[in-house]
Amino acid sequence: MAPDFGFWTLQTLNALQLSMLMFLLSIGLTVIFGLMHFVNLAHGALYGIGAYVAATVAGVAGYWASFILAPLAVTAVGLVLYTGLIRRMRKSGPMAQVLVTFGLIFAFLDVTRIVWGDIPLALEVPDLLSGRTSLVGVEYPTYRLFIIILGLTVLAALALILNRTQIGAMIRAGVDNDAMASCLGINVEKLFFVVFCIGCGLAGLAGAVAAPVLSVTPDMGLHILVPTLIVIVIGGLGSLKGAIWGSLIFGFVQTFGAVLAPQLSSMLIYGLLAAVLVIRPEGLFPARG
Amino acid sequence: MFRHTPLRYATLILLFSGAVFQAFTGDYYGLEILSEILILAILVLALDLVAGFGGMISLCHGALMGAGAYGFALLATQAGLSPAVAIIVALILVGFIGCIIGAICARSHGIYFIMATLAFGQMGYSYVFDAPGFGGDDGLTGIPRPDMSALNIDLGDSQTFALYCLAALCAAYGLVVLFLNSGVGRSLVGVMHNEVRMRALGSEVWKIKAIAFGISGMIAGVAGILLAQHSMYVSPSIMNWTVSGEALVVVILGGLGTLVGPIVGAVVFVVLKHQVSALTSYWHLVVGCLLIAVVMSGSNGIFGWVETQWTRHLKQRQSPRLAPRSEPTSHQETVKDA
Amino acid sequence: MKRVFMATVVGVVSLFSMQSSYAADMKVGLLLPYSGVYAALGKEIDAGFELGLEKYGSDLGLDIEIVREDTEVKPPVAISKTKKLILQDKVQVIAGVVSSGVLGALRDIITSSKVPLVVANAGNDEATGSQCSPYITRMSFSNSQVNRPMGKWMFDQGIKKVFTLAPDYAAGRQMIDAFTESFKAAGGEIVGQEFTPFQKTQDFGPYLTKAQASDADAVYVFYAGGEAISFVKQYDSFGIKVDKPLYGSGFLTSQLYVNAQGPAAAGVITALHYVPAIDTPENLDFVTSFIDKTGHIPSEFAVHGYDAAHAIVEALKSGATDRESLAKALSQVSFDGPRGELKIDPTTNNLVQPIYVYQTSVEGSQATQTVLATLPAEPDPANGCNMSALMN
Repeated sequence: MAPDFGFWTLQTLNALQLSMLMFLLSIGLTVIFGLMHFVNLAHGALYGIGAYVAATVAGVAGYWASFILAPLAVTAVGLVLYTGLIRRMRKSGPMAQVLVTFGLIFAFLDVTRIVWGDIPLALEVPDLLSGRTSLVGVEYPTYRLFIIILGLTVLAALALILNRTQIGAMIRAGVDNDAMASCLGINVEKLFFVVFCIGCGLAGLAGAVAAPVLSVTPDMGLHILVPTLIVIVIGGLGSLKGAIWGSLIFGFVQTFGAVLAPQLSSMLIYGLLAAVLVIRPEGLFPARG
Repeated sequence: MFRHTPLRYATLILLFSGAVFQAFTGDYYGLEILSEILILAILVLALDLVAGFGGMISLCHGALMGAGAYGFALLATQAGLSPAVAIIVALILVGFIGCIIGAICARSHGIYFIMATLAFGQMGYSYVFDAPGFGGDDGLTGIPRPDMSALNIDLGDSQTFALYCLAALCAAYGLVVLFLNSGVGRSLVGVMHNEVRMRALGSEVWKIKAIAFGISGMIAGVAGILLAQHSMYVSPSIMNWTVSGEALVVVILGGLGTLVGPIVGAVVFVVLKHQVSALTSYWHLVVGCLLIAVVMSGSNGIFGWVETQWTRHLKQRQSPRLAPRSEPTSHQETVKDA
Repeated sequence: MKRVFMATVVGVVSLFSMQSSYAADMKVGLLLPYSGVYAALGKEIDAGFELGLEKYGSDLGLDIEIVREDTEVKPPVAISKTKKLILQDKVQVIAGVVSSGVLGALRDIITSSKVPLVVANAGNDEATGSQCSPYITRMSFSNSQVNRPMGKWMFDQGIKKVFTLAPDYAAGRQMIDAFTESFKAAGGEIVGQEFTPFQKTQDFGPYLTKAQASDADAVYVFYAGGEAISFVKQYDSFGIKVDKPLYGSGFLTSQLYVNAQGPAAAGVITALHYVPAIDTPENLDFVTSFIDKTGHIPSEFAVHGYDAAHAIVEALKSGATDRESLAKALSQVSFDGPRGELKIDPTTNNLVQPIYVYQTSVEGSQATQTVLATLPAEPDPANGCNMSALMN
């Protein structure tokens, strides 16, 4: 039976949903890089912590409470990380910061195991978003539509902030040339701090949002790290445009790869990454030329 | 350019005698750990060559090691080659793969380079996992050790095998030092310090990187072959990026760019892992905190710290009235942005 | 500050002293993953094993010491830990092994060292097939054993067309192949098969949409652990259950994590060699003691450990004391356990056990199972194991 129009619509929606989830994760990571020039490898671990906190809070207070509290909790963790570790490493250069976050991956892996145990947890979709919605001739899970809409909302909000507000202008200036921005009187260190915490909060949000769809396991942060890195490297480090394009490319390649050529699909995305790195080493839409 | 300071010589002699001592006095399990340390030391030596002296932080060395292991396994079991021939062919193969990766990634730097190596490593992992005849997730068994009965050596014996690994490590170390002191090796260090200048001087940077990566790949392949012979089994899990990640941790822990440091790191890492996991199943936490502590201390790993202290000690002895300000030879400054 | 840090580093790095072991009558090695992705299974099997030794081993009058080693689900690590158990700790028997990859890696060293291994989970068919060994006795299950009976059963229920899904690795393929073989032999038709990238797929959307678009009557899958939770929840969210009910191998709704699936698990019919709802005195006793010990209902992994301990005790009771005699005695073991009547088939050293088809229902936050059918125990058909040749 040949797949019909409904089939392709569903797969497109699947791809969009995956893209939006990856976008939530990658935007925090890419802006941190753009501004601070180091890749926070612990980003995946923060996503995992967001999911765990969400699962715990939802068990007590319901989904919407966890939707608000999990990102806040992860932002708090980010705050502690920054003041305790990252700020001290600022003088040592980007390499040291990357390695510290690499150590954090290991540490967080066991911390989640100690606090929450080894057995996977789960989080239920809230009643408001359960079930399916009819649109464009197909029925699609409402919660996945919610993820798509949330991702687009965050995209719109960030675009607005970056392009239309003072702080957005400061961030863009800092990404372009932080030394110069500092000369102009912008408190770049404070900007770093704010951006880092917001980036962590977004990772926590991604975790809380993904948890009802996937399962909450200790190694979920490790599993999501490489796809997130692929997204930001293909898209181009440091820019919003790069994050959204990278996410869309990743989402569509993974989804339609699975549909059309499942045996190749695991190699496909890595092949694409290698191709981009060879042809355009800085990614498709990097922040700096 | 790689210089042997008295401290480095002393550490090498200490490590070598320690290994020999352990080989002759260790119990069965002690010999297992010794072989594990030696194989890991060869892998991190390969990584330090490109990362510490070439500024190319790689996350595909686990995959290169796996390529060596699988190459040897398939040639020795399915292609019917004798183990000795299989070793040589596998090494040539892995060296070739390393060259190609080095050449392709030559234009990338920093985080992009790391990601590019990660991409190639994971492609290799996926290929080996899925390819028919490679055993898939269950792996390949029945891998032979070389037959050295002509020399009256039985590699089936744990002690002999450990000494065989030690010999391989010494050979690998000698090869790396020879390379670093050769023209290409010195150019490599030059490329790490200032690539643009090297290009302006007429060096073909991509060739230098390709050669360095090829040699590094070959040495990683040696580690892989020994791993395959030690366990007499290979599975895709030895090629995952987390293996490369662990190798990087060991290099940083020991001391990037010192060659001796990573070997020290290998000893510390394996021993620590075994001791800690005897007490708790949360040894990742210990390793993570240790890595963070080492990086935050600002010194270049354990051996880097020892070297700094030693240099400071020497300077104080030479001119006691001029107490120098401590400036760790932090490798972080010379390595490109990540 | 730097010095303080380095001092900490040096302090941490200082060697701890090796622990010495006291002299015990019997040493049993327990080789399980205590860290890594299967740590939850390792802990569960460990608890079941301890419980089994407590219950059955106490009247042996022997001092049994358990030596635990962590395989980390990494074959090279498992190999070196096994060598330690055999050569240094000198255990008489080893139990455990969760991952089939690890079991495959250990097969040669177990056989050449002549140490009996009681497999408490790993299900790869070869271990009691083409790679069988007089020293490897399996007390858990084999991949084909658990899935084979469902083929005929589902066809007899009126299901003629099936779409299958499983992760793309050796165990996934073995489970599905066993099912498709018997389903087709009974007269059914496989309308589609997909294998998802192992441990990389978290989002099953594309595959579920494919299954939904097919003209299958039902969907048969194998997933375990975190993947099972994600799959069942996503299957439910797409609303496929309405016209294509979900069937599978019982690991999909294992007691260990079925509660995490919530209402999505309702109505799923699976087949497994153990369900907590089995209504026999042995099982009720096991379930209550397990809840007393750990606070949660036992899963099939717990019963693997429990029966492995029981098997070892039975072998000891028959008079076996050293490795060689234990290996022989283990091949002859039979007893009534929580799963029902169990015995080892000496031609393959695999367990012969009944298979339970059950349906999961959800009340509030607890999932319960109702046994729909008990399929009789059948020894494995000829599978390449030539045990008599190996014994000589």
